[in-house]
Amino acid sequence: MLSGDLKLVERCLQGDDAAWEMLVSSYGKRIYNLSYRYTNRKDDAEDLTQEILIRVYQNLKSYRSEAGSFQNWILRVARNLVIDHYRQMRRNPQTGGSEELETMNIKDVKIPTPQRAAEQSEAARFLQNGLQALSPELKEAIILRDLEGMAYNEMSELLNVPEGTVKSRINRGRLELAKLLTKRRAQLGVPV
Amino acid sequence: MDCLRTEQKLSEYLESGLPAEDMHQVAEHLEGCKQCSALFHEMQSAVNLCHNYPTLEMDPDFLEKILLRTSGRPRTRSFRERFNQYFLRPLLTPRFAAAAVLATLFIALMVNFMAPRLSIALSDLSPSGLFQLLDMGVQQIYGEGLKAYEKVDSWQAKFNDIKNSAPNKLRYMIEQIEAPVEGRKKSQEQIQEKEKSPKEKSSRLLSWPA
Repeated sequence: MLSGDLKLVERCLQGDDAAWEMLVSSYGKRIYNLSYRYTNRKDDAEDLTQEILIRVYQNLKSYRSEAGSFQNWILRVARNLVIDHYRQMRRNPQTGGSEELETMNIKDVKIPTPQRAAEQSEAARFLQNGLQALSPELKEAIILRDLEGMAYNEMSELLNVPEGTVKSRINRGRLELAKLLTKRRAQLGVPV
Repeated sequence: MDCLRTEQKLSEYLESGLPAEDMHQVAEHLEGCKQCSALFHEMQSAVNLCHNYPTLEMDPDFLEKILLRTSGRPRTRSFRERFNQYFLRPLLTPRFAAAAVLATLFIALMVNFMAPRLSIALSDLSPSGLFQLLDMGVQQIYGEGLKAYEKVDSWQAKFNDIKNSAPNKLRYMIEQIEAPVEGRKKSQEQIQEKEKSPKEKSSRLLSWPA
């Protein structure tokens, strides 16, 4: 994968549009999902994804394989833009709530049956509310580890912090999330 | 191990990432402490929720929008996608289906009215039967052709009659106009006498105008 990405980047820099299309196809979905997990809105996630990929395309020349993997480089670009977006949202909060999964285009989500879809949607909404209540640092740790499935060393490289700090943030994030969800369940009367 | 230290190690315990001794100590504490045990189960549930969070697919149109804004080139479509887009999807519409049914009915009705009726038995589908059918068909077409030729022949004959008699009739009309009244009567009598004799009539018809 690493050498494959490097070859694609080299071809992109030589002007091969097909190579760029392959890179976008490989990473676009991940960036889109990452953006959605941060923003909880489809339109914001699309705007953010577009912005991230345009930035990546414009700055492709600045990527150096010695600095780390291409995956981490692209995720770093994504993270910086996500943080900028988050700061902007804090300054100008939107009055509308987060978009429900049921209102999204059905082809956007891979769901087996309608009943399962309703259960997943309910669970996802529950989780979204819990994540929104976390601090940005802890929320980021949970998203990268539990939602994106990144390894500790990858997170350490991406966030530019020691692995111990990454583990500590993940632990605190999970504890916070667990306590929040317990309280929410008690309020809603939802069984564990 | 106390609750505070157990809490600090819960995440790694969940992932079985602690050394064996620490794993044992945490397990012992969880067995004895209801609060920490409940917290651990809730953490497990939260992580499971994260793992089961639905993954969104990117819309192909959105992907194309990104490609157009960056490289300026549209998305590459596979043969199957192009086939579906330009051939299959236009066909699988109610409007096209209704038009196809109507067109088929129309063609069937036209063929039914215009085509010659053939009564074909299953036994006629042998090679000799097919040859006989073919022979019948050829003879039918030849017969129709001969009839048409005879018709053309009779039309030709009628045309020739008209062509031959027209100048004489015209001459007569001119004479009638130019001659005085008495002279007209005499010429009429002369014509009547001439017309009575059949030989002269036929020779007049056969003669070419001067």
